Amino acid sequence: MKRTLTAVGLAAAAALILAGCATEPAAPGADDDVVVTYSNFISAGGNEENLGLIVEAFEAENPGITIDVTTLPYGDYFTTLQTDLAAGTIADVVDTNYDFFPQLAASGALAPLEVSNADAYRESLIEAYAVDGVSYGLPSSFSAVVLYYNADLFDQAGLDYPSADWTWEDEQAAADAITALGDDVWGSHQPVSFYEFYKVLEQNGESFLNDDGTAVAFNSPGGIEAAEWLTSKSGTVMPTIEQGQGSPDFDTNLFVEGNLGMMHTGIWVFGAVADVPFAWDIAVEPGNGTQASAVFSNAVGVSANAENIEAATLWAEFLTSSQTMVDVRLDSGWELPPISDAAQLAVYLEKSDPENRQAVFDSLDGIALTPLVESGQQEMQDIIGEELIEAQAGRKSVADALASAEERINAVIGG
Amino acid sequence: MAEPRTLARSGKADQTSVDARRRASLGWLLLHVVVILGAALMFFPFLWTVITSLSDGVGLSTEPRLWPENPSLSGYETLFSERPFARVVVNSFLLATATTIAQLFTSATAAYAFSRLPFRGRGIVFAVYLATMMIPLQVLVVPLFAQIRAFGLINTYLGALLPTFAAAFGIFLLRQAINQVPRELDEAATLDGAGHFRIFWQVIIPNIRPALATLTIFAFMGSWNSFLWPLIVLRDAELQTLPIALAALQGQYTTAWDVVMAGSVVSIIPMLALYIFAQKYVIQGVASSGIK
Repeated sequence: MKRTLTAVGLAAAAALILAGCATEPAAPGADDDVVVTYSNFISAGGNEENLGLIVEAFEAENPGITIDVTTLPYGDYFTTLQTDLAAGTIADVVDTNYDFFPQLAASGALAPLEVSNADAYRESLIEAYAVDGVSYGLPSSFSAVVLYYNADLFDQAGLDYPSADWTWEDEQAAADAITALGDDVWGSHQPVSFYEFYKVLEQNGESFLNDDGTAVAFNSPGGIEAAEWLTSKSGTVMPTIEQGQGSPDFDTNLFVEGNLGMMHTGIWVFGAVADVPFAWDIAVEPGNGTQASAVFSNAVGVSANAENIEAATLWAEFLTSSQTMVDVRLDSGWELPPISDAAQLAVYLEKSDPENRQAVFDSLDGIALTPLVESGQQEMQDIIGEELIEAQAGRKSVADALASAEERINAVIGG
Repeated sequence: MAEPRTLARSGKADQTSVDARRRASLGWLLLHVVVILGAALMFFPFLWTVITSLSDGVGLSTEPRLWPENPSLSGYETLFSERPFARVVVNSFLLATATTIAQLFTSATAAYAFSRLPFRGRGIVFAVYLATMMIPLQVLVVPLFAQIRAFGLINTYLGALLPTFAAAFGIFLLRQAINQVPRELDEAATLDGAGHFRIFWQVIIPNIRPALATLTIFAFMGSWNSFLWPLIVLRDAELQTLPIALAALQGQYTTAWDVVMAGSVVSIIPMLALYIFAQKYVIQGVASSGIK
């Protein structure tokens, strides 16, 4: 027995050594022409050509600088980035989203940026990528979540259309009336997830984390009310998980089929619902005392080890604030450019489908920012997602689910 | 006990045989119904993939359809016109073929050594090989990446291939198969003057063909479906493999499912063809070396 154990121990140790030994990294080469490497996820899934247009325009404007683009799937981009961070091989310019930015900035891999045109950016967005007043990232795009509604179903039910001053109560009443129109018709769809929960908490005057971000703050009467608002739609005004809710594109399909009165989702769905045979529009999401909308943004950072930080910064600025970028994004409906100049965005507002595009910008008046913790971000998001689903499915009461989530998350984030 | 039964049978021989036949045919029918239902269940997801790939601009519908909505080949057109997908298929095929050939060679030679050459510490060395199977790739990714980078092989086919050249699973599978080849054959060959290489090539290899076929399938399939390592080591769109290109078809917020499903169909076909071609060997190989 002892011999077997020794053999197994030796075998395991040797296997680790055999499989894991590393050597010194090779020195990077130098060239006359500057090549800036750019690793991105923003163009994956259909915008590769749009990114190509921005690259072409930059290279034409900056002879001598070539952009070497690597496009990776969004879902796996961060795995690759973390490997690169560990091995010290990140590209000169890298994409990040808001959730991953703190970790990326804290790793020391990003260079502080001397932004030549900080005023060109929407203030709230450029500030989101600064640490102690120093920019470590430039916002590249943003998207907002709004309330879509099927105007024909509202007419059928004899209801007024949603407006910016709507509250949860108004949404509930309309959802009930639309659900009553028929067996296959549902009133309102809202995903039961981390990203919806922190937003409804803010809409109800609560917050996900305490002030110093060391523990959760949602297990309160207001927090329970918010979670109940989110989970109680299932089976009443929204299909249940058993009926398919939660599967990819479920809400968009239901809406496109004309069987959904309202849905809470991002402006990225405009294209998918553009050709529906009924009237539809959007509105700012209703709150319960406070207006709070989810806004998702992406950004780029420049590697502190970039061979030519100046050229890399030039590309980062072009990608995030140039006129070419604004035109390409607005023409193709590739999210929204992060710029401050309202005149440039006029083109966007003039387009129809939906008519009320102003609601997208009105949403920015009250932004519910993703709660971020120093470590355990993903686990925190997974835990609250799991517990809310338990409540949605009726396997736990909302109060029990939040109490359990509080205990589990605090253990993870060290609260 | 045998006597009365014989008597009874002779008494009602015709009736019993009719009953037995009827029971047999009823059983045959039931068996086939169950098997066909099972096959339909297994086949349905694939059928749905094909149908979605032929439905233009339609998301994953809430209720699967048996006929494409807006039938069109636009998913396939987008796949091959807007992305270097043909190149990606060739990449996957080349990498899988190279991995398979390398693994067949390294596994067969190592398995021969572990089975036929007695040497000090053979058991321990074999245990070390097996132990490498217990370590998930995720744990090894960073050191392996640093190592491949030190060799200057990031973004090269060789960088993607090197860690897959030898596989503990293949050695294990083939060693089990070689152990079953009677040693008398080796001894007879030795008496005829054959050395190790000749015994390996002319005695052992012909006798472990089913296991080699099994390993071929597993190695090819493993490489064909491999995701994490190629994702990390191959960055250029021109070098990427099918699973990575398929994942890259999904955007941050939205996904064109018809294009993704078209890509899935393209990625399934070669594996399906290989499996149909070699399934006899797979079943033999697993049965003979897996369940001993």
